[in-house]
Amino acid sequence: MLKLVVRKELLTALRDTRLQVSGGILIVLMLTAVLVGKQGQRQIQKEREQAQASMYDKWVNQGEKHPHSAAHYGQFAFKPKPVLSFLDQGLDTYTGISVFLEAHKQHEVLFSGAQDSNGMTRFGEMTVALVLQVLMPLLIIFLTFNIFSKEREEGTLKLIHAQGLGMRQLFIGKVAGTFLIVLMIFIPIVVLAYLLLDESSASIDAGVTGKFFAMALGYVAYFLVFVFLSVLISAFARNSGLSLLTMLGVWIVSCIILPKATANLADKIYPTPSQFEFKRTIQHKVKNGIDGHNPSDARLTTLKQQVLDQYGVKSIDELPVNWSGIAMQAGEEYTDQVYDQEFSKVENIFRKQNRISEWAGFINPYLAVRNLSMALAGTDFRHHVVFAKAAENYRRGFVKIMNKDMEVNHKPGIAYGDYKLGKEMWSSIESFNYELPGISSVLSYQWRSITALIFWLVGLFFLSSHYAPKIPKL
Amino acid sequence: MLEAINLSKTYGGHKALTDINLSVGPGEVYCLLGANGAGKTTTINLFMGFIKPSSGTVKINELDVTTQASETKKFLAYIPENLNLYGNLSGLENLQFFTGLGGDKPDRELSEHLLLSVDLQTDAIHKRVSEYSKGMRQKVGIAIAKAKKARNLLMDEPTSGLDPQASNDFAQLLENMRQKNVAILMATHDLFRAKESGTHIGIMKEGKLIHELKSDKITLLELEQLYLETMKSESHVEISS
Repeated sequence: MLKLVVRKELLTALRDTRLQVSGGILIVLMLTAVLVGKQGQRQIQKEREQAQASMYDKWVNQGEKHPHSAAHYGQFAFKPKPVLSFLDQGLDTYTGISVFLEAHKQHEVLFSGAQDSNGMTRFGEMTVALVLQVLMPLLIIFLTFNIFSKEREEGTLKLIHAQGLGMRQLFIGKVAGTFLIVLMIFIPIVVLAYLLLDESSASIDAGVTGKFFAMALGYVAYFLVFVFLSVLISAFARNSGLSLLTMLGVWIVSCIILPKATANLADKIYPTPSQFEFKRTIQHKVKNGIDGHNPSDARLTTLKQQVLDQYGVKSIDELPVNWSGIAMQAGEEYTDQVYDQEFSKVENIFRKQNRISEWAGFINPYLAVRNLSMALAGTDFRHHVVFAKAAENYRRGFVKIMNKDMEVNHKPGIAYGDYKLGKEMWSSIESFNYELPGISSVLSYQWRSITALIFWLVGLFFLSSHYAPKIPKL
Repeated sequence: MLEAINLSKTYGGHKALTDINLSVGPGEVYCLLGANGAGKTTTINLFMGFIKPSSGTVKINELDVTTQASETKKFLAYIPENLNLYGNLSGLENLQFFTGLGGDKPDRELSEHLLLSVDLQTDAIHKRVSEYSKGMRQKVGIAIAKAKKARNLLMDEPTSGLDPQASNDFAQLLENMRQKNVAILMATHDLFRAKESGTHIGIMKEGKLIHELKSDKITLLELEQLYLETMKSESHVEISS
């Protein structure tokens, strides 16, 4: 009997011209978004790879100079364009793409896509994620708003009941039928997107296939939640008009109002310091010490005495090593310590803000799937932080090598301009290479979003099972 | 066998039905007459289990509709007043869907035969129901009821909106089913059809069954006079035979 209901739902929906048009538009939109998105991702990734290689080439061929000059000549780290960003841009448009790496300073990641775009970017790009997260629920609403109420209005619900079919079976049949239609629209997009995951994708992100299927599964769960919810509303709405109005209300609240409200609430509860405030705090602490009682000149004096004692000499000139190299590295390490401390505070605030958004997935499935999708696509804030940290670690690594060389090899008495290194030294430092977090890492920090989707599915299933027999037939 | 025993239904403070007692045996066609709001449809809805009685009992083949709802459906077929069916499906597809829900989906040949047996034209069988007239849709409804081979049939104003020819065809189909010992309870406004097709007639007013009579004991004119007088008079119960 269930099969009959599912078949009937499929047939009636597929023969509905309005659905054919709206479903067709949605498929075209998604196909376009997939193809254009993939083209864009490939091009951007290629440009970034070229830029990374070109900058490294410039580093290697910067000519002969003092290692400290080389540390200031610096390098660039370019953020790879995540493979699955062609499906979900997430925050990628708003976070920077490259960072200049040099001695003493932790520059911020700059040149976001939004900086180069016009005002329309603020309205969101037409990505597959947008279609799946926002427009697909609209199609589901369109498919289901009168799925029960029309039957009631036209008397077929009475006839179904008279034939002996229970309301629970009918409800499940309608959910299954609608869900199959949604899958018929979704699966071709999944297949096309999967075919676009070529070999080069794996070189950027080794776990891309797993992430891709986890993302698809997340969306399938999200659609099922919306189908359950919509069919349930239609089952108990007094008429089709009221059902449509209720569903559109749910859609507006969950896809438009709540995400903004959640972000605002998170910012109110956990306000982030301004960029200016953040930099000023670092400068202040570097100058005056982390505890405010250990200024830089005092730290330098202490270090100097320690080094002199270590080598058993009375003055810097008597040292067998380069004092400037030691002092610079010590300065670097102190700045790093301050930076890490302040950065972790800010990161913690962002993490708390994101946590609110993740918990909000329990009251809004849109937020659950949005967070999960962004994370799996590698375009959420966490991925940006991981990149920024990787770039910073790379900076610290090569600056340390420069300082160490200076300390050991730039002997006292040799003028700054007379101590020079060349290509051999520069090329001993490997090019910046960044690997995206693996799927297990992503899934583990996204456990709230995953649990929220499961919570919605299980909750709606039990709610439906309980209330389906009470669906009014008149 | 259809039975209502002391059946009452109250909505809020409003009494929609008060102490209805009626019985429809095999081969009987019981026509419920009455103005709008008299309680005809409420009675049918109670037999169908769409609503629960406030008091009293509804029985189908000795089974209580309230406590054995799903069991009673096996013995019951139903034709509602406005049967729209699914416009995007053909008559044949509609028939196969609804009969399949009863657990006994007839094959294509038998389904076509059923539709032809209710005088649906051959070329209409495969057309979408959205192109059907009301009469054609009712015929599909009758075919669905026939396919179920139920011993009891409930109809809620099945001839309303039908043209005279379709109404006459419908009466013939009803007679065929009566001859097969089906117990039929029909709510209608059509006095002529009630007199012609019914074996028993009940006249309802304000939720009460005012008159109950056998159709062969009364002429159409007498029925009309009795009906009009009942509508004008104060409510009281009188059982005629």
